[in-house]
Amino acid sequence: MRSVNLTINGRQRRVVTTADKVLLDLLRDDLGLTGTKQSCDKKGQCGACMVIINGRAVRSCLTKVASLEGADIITVEGLGTPENPHLIQEAFVLSGAIQCGFCTPGMIMSAKALLDKDPDPDEEAIKKALRHNICRCTGYTKIIDAIKLAGRFLRGEITPDQVRPDPDGPKVGVSHPRPSALAKACGTAEFTADIKVPGTLALAVVRSPYAHADIKGVDSSLAEKMPGVAGVMTAKDIKGTNRLKLAIADRPLLCEDKVRSLGEAVAIVAAETPEKARAAAEAVKVDYQVLEVLDSPAKALAEGAPQLHPHSPNLCYSQPQIKGDAEAALAGSAAMVEHRFSTSIIHQSPLEPEACVAWLEEDPEGDEPILTVVGRSINIHAHLAGLQAALGYENMRYLEAYSGGQFGLKLEITSEGIAAAAALHFQSGVRYIPSLAESMLMTSKRHSFNMKVRMGADDQGRITAYTNDFMVDKGAYFSIGQGILVRTLGMLSGSYNIPNIKALGKIVYTNNPYGSAARGAGPPQGNFALECTVEMMARKLGQDSLDFRLKNSLLPGQTKSTGRAAEQWPIPELIEKIRPHYDRAVAEAAAHKEGPVRRGVGLGCGSFGISLAGDAAVAAVELDPDNGVSVYAAAADPGEGNDAMFTQLAAHMLDLPLDKVRIHLRDTDNTTAAGPAAGSRITFMVGGALQDAINQLKEAMEEAGARTYQGLVDAGKPVRYLGRKKTTFAAPPMDPETGQGPGFEVEIHAIQMAEVEVDIETGQASVVKMTAVVDAGTAINPQNIMGQLEGGMDMGAGLALREKYVAGETTDWKTYKFPTMEYYFDKEVLIHETPRINATQGAIGVGEMALVPTAPAIINGIYDAAGVWVTNLPATPDKIKAALAGQG
Amino acid sequence: MEYGPDQANEDKGLGRRNRTIAGRDLHFDQEGFFWDSQEWFEEAAEIMAHEAGLARLTETHWRVIRFLREYYNTQGRAPLNRQLKAGTGLSLMDLEGLFPGGIKNGARRLAGLPNPKTCADGV
Repeated sequence: MRSVNLTINGRQRRVVTTADKVLLDLLRDDLGLTGTKQSCDKKGQCGACMVIINGRAVRSCLTKVASLEGADIITVEGLGTPENPHLIQEAFVLSGAIQCGFCTPGMIMSAKALLDKDPDPDEEAIKKALRHNICRCTGYTKIIDAIKLAGRFLRGEITPDQVRPDPDGPKVGVSHPRPSALAKACGTAEFTADIKVPGTLALAVVRSPYAHADIKGVDSSLAEKMPGVAGVMTAKDIKGTNRLKLAIADRPLLCEDKVRSLGEAVAIVAAETPEKARAAAEAVKVDYQVLEVLDSPAKALAEGAPQLHPHSPNLCYSQPQIKGDAEAALAGSAAMVEHRFSTSIIHQSPLEPEACVAWLEEDPEGDEPILTVVGRSINIHAHLAGLQAALGYENMRYLEAYSGGQFGLKLEITSEGIAAAAALHFQSGVRYIPSLAESMLMTSKRHSFNMKVRMGADDQGRITAYTNDFMVDKGAYFSIGQGILVRTLGMLSGSYNIPNIKALGKIVYTNNPYGSAARGAGPPQGNFALECTVEMMARKLGQDSLDFRLKNSLLPGQTKSTGRAAEQWPIPELIEKIRPHYDRAVAEAAAHKEGPVRRGVGLGCGSFGISLAGDAAVAAVELDPDNGVSVYAAAADPGEGNDAMFTQLAAHMLDLPLDKVRIHLRDTDNTTAAGPAAGSRITFMVGGALQDAINQLKEAMEEAGARTYQGLVDAGKPVRYLGRKKTTFAAPPMDPETGQGPGFEVEIHAIQMAEVEVDIETGQASVVKMTAVVDAGTAINPQNIMGQLEGGMDMGAGLALREKYVAGETTDWKTYKFPTMEYYFDKEVLIHETPRINATQGAIGVGEMALVPTAPAIINGIYDAAGVWVTNLPATPDKIKAALAGQG
Repeated sequence: MEYGPDQANEDKGLGRRNRTIAGRDLHFDQEGFFWDSQEWFEEAAEIMAHEAGLARLTETHWRVIRFLREYYNTQGRAPLNRQLKAGTGLSLMDLEGLFPGGIKNGARRLAGLPNPKTCADGV
C-alpha cells in the first residue's frame, strides 16, 4: 500500500493505493467519476478513459495511481456540467460529433489537452492528438469538425449562440442539438457499467474453451468453498425454458449438455468482488468431450458431418427467388459476367462492452419482487418477454441505459440473461461487467456470405438477367435466421431494373459465432456482389461506370427482384448529383496511373428496403398539464439520433418549443412495445405511429376547441393517444417458392464514390475520400443524416479492407483492426430530398444504408487503380499483392 | 428439385399462419397470436376459445379480455401480471387457471394482443 497526494478536478485528495492500481479504477470505482469510460481491457487501445494529467492527455487505464504523487488531474467532470458546459463540450454537441457518446469524454479530454497547447490546430495536428482515441459511430469527421469549432470558440472568433440553431425557428430540416448530447459530453449520461447498486454480487462466467463439445459434468465444489463466493449456478438452476428465442428456441442461456460455439456460457459464479468471482470461475471443472468442429458451411454440409441441432439438418433454411426466366435471358445476352464473392464474419464493434446490472425490489402490489434488468437491448419489450420465458419469472422490468453503440448486436439477449438468471437464483442484486474479450465471445456477429453470381446484358448495355446462389454461415444458432435471406433477396436487384432474376439463398448451421442483426444484415453482403458485378459488366461493355448505372436504374413503375413495383426511385437524380464530383475524381485519378501508388475511382449504388410486409408499431403521446407533451415508445437510441427525431417531429407537428417535448424511450414500465430499433425502421414505423398519435391529439383539440390540457379535460377528451403504423398484411413479404411478394415498404437510396490509392508494391489499399449522395426523404435533422453516412462509410471501409472476426484469435480492438484515426479518410455527404409517400412527414431512416454501397465502391476503386479484382473480403494487402502477382 | 422449398423450412413452423374465422381473413404468427391486434373481434375470440377447449367464454373471461384490450389500446403494451390482478380483481392462480395456456399463451392470445416475442419479422 502507498499513500498518494494528488489533485482531481481542483480538489486535493490523499488516496491509499496498491502498487498496481490504475487511475481508471480509482476514478470510476472509488470516486464515482464514471464520465471516464472503459472499452478495451486496459490495454490503451480505445482512449475512452483519457484524462488530463499535468496538462497532458493520458490514458488512465495505463497509469498507476502510485506514480501520481503531486499530479494535477482533470476528468470530463472537471470541465463543465450540462448546466454550465465547457466550450469544447458545446462544440462537440453543436458539431454533431456525439452519437452513442461512449467515446466522447475521452475525445473531449484529448481535445482539451491539444487546444490548451495549440488553440488553432490543423487537421494533421488534431489527428495526431486523437491517435489513441477510437470511435465506431462517427468516422471521426464530425469530431475533427468539433475540435476546429472549439478552437474558434476558445479564440473568441465566434460564440456557441451564433452557431446554435434558433430553438424557436423551424423544427424540421434543422440540425437542432440532440436532447441527450450534452449529458454525454459532460459525462453525466449513465451507461450500464456506470450504475451502482448497493450490496450487489459480482458475476463471472465459466465459458467453454471448445467450439463443439458434449458436457459430461460440471464440478463446482471447489469454487463454492472459495472465500467470498456466494455460489455457482448451472442450467439446472434455471426454472424457465433456458432458451433465448428469436425465431427458434435453439440458443440456451446456459449450456445444458452441449456446447456449439467457442466461449458459450456453462456456469455462473457470484461472489463479493469481480476478482473473487473470476478466481472461482477458474476453479469450476467442466468435463467436456470434444467433438468435431464444423467451422464452415462446406464442412457442415459434407456427407457424414454431425448434425448440430436435433430439430434441423445443418442446412437449416433456404429461400429461392425467381422473376422471369434468367437462364433463357442469359443464353440470349450479348455479354455475360460470372464471378464469386465472399465476405467474412464481422464484429459489429460497438465501443461499449457487454454489461448488465440487475436487482430485486419489493413490489408493493405484488407477492413476488420485481426483477429489474438494466441493459442496452434494442427491443426492451421483446427482451423482457424473452427473459420471462427463459427464466420462468413474470414480475420484471427492463431499463435501457445509455448505449455505447450496438449496430444490430443488441437485438439479442446476452449479458442480460446471465445477470437476470443470477439475480433470481442468488436472490441478490448483481453486476456483470465482462471484459471486451469476453464480450466478443458472447455476442452475435455479421454473417459471412459466399456468393456465386452471373449477370447478362444486351448489346445496348441493359442488364438482362442476374443470378446469385449464396450460402450464409449461420454459426451455431438460428437467431433472425430466415430474415437474413428475406432481407438479402428483398434487395437483391439493388438500384436496378433487372427483368430476370434467379437466386437461391441457403443458411447453414456451423460451430462459428452465431450471426444476427448487423447494420444492414444481409444486404451489405448481397449488394457488394451486385455492385461489383455491375462494374465488371460496364467495363466488359466498355461503358462509363456512372452512365451504365444511370442507364440501368430502376424507374417508378418497374419492378424489383421481389416483383413489387417501385413508386419512387430517385437514383437517376442522385447519379446526376454526384456526376460533377465523379468527373473531378476521375480527372484527378488520371494523373496517378503510373508509379508505385496508383489511384482509382469506384462507384456503388444502394437502394435499401425498410419495413417488410407485416411490420407494425405503436407509439403514444400524452398532453401534459403544462401543455407540453410526453412521447412514449420503446425505441432505443444507441447513437442514431432517435431522440432528436421524436422531439423535432412532435415539436413540429404541435408547434411546440423543443423543450416542451419529453421523450420516454427506455423503460418497459412506461413505453409502448414498438418493435426493434433495427432495420432502419424507427423513423418510418415508430415515427409514423407517433405521427398518427399526434394527429389524433390534434383532432381532439379541434373538436374540443382548445389546445390546452385543461381544455381537453374540460371537454371530456382523453389526453393520451395511441398511434399505430403498419405495413401491408395482404401477403407475407415473400413467397417461399418464388421469392416474389410485397417485400419492403419503402427504400432509402444512395450512391457513393470511393477514391482509392493502391500501393502496388505492398498491396496496401487506402481510401482517400468517400463521397455520398443520399436520399432519405425529408431531412428532419440533416446533421444526423450526415453523421450516419460518415460513420457508416467508415464501417463499410473496414468491411472492405480490414475487418474480420476469428473466434479465439480476435480478442481486442487491435486484433480486430478497429478503424482508428490512422485510417481516417475525407468524407463528403450531399443530401437529396424526395419526400416519401406515406412516410413520417416524408422522412425515413438512414442508419444502415450508410454502409451498403461502401465496400463495392472501394473494391471497384481498387480495380480502377490497380486492375485487379479482390472479391474475397477483406481486401488485405496480401490478397491484393497476390492478385497483382497473378496478373503479372 | 433445385428450387423447391427445403423440407427443413417446413419443419421450422416459421412465419405467419393465415386463417379465415367467421368469414374474415385473419393473420396469426407461428404461436397463434394475432399479427394485428386490430383484426381481433369478439366472435373470433369465442371460436378460438372453443378450439382451445373452453366450452364458452364466461363473463369472468370477458372481464379479463376486455381489461387486456383496454390496457393495450391505451398503453401500447401488455400488462404485467400485477397490473392484470389489480385491473381484474382476480388472483394470479385464478387468472392462470381461467384460460387454457394461462395468461400469456391463453388470455393474451384470445384477447388479440400481439406476441411480444415476435420481432424478427418486419425488420
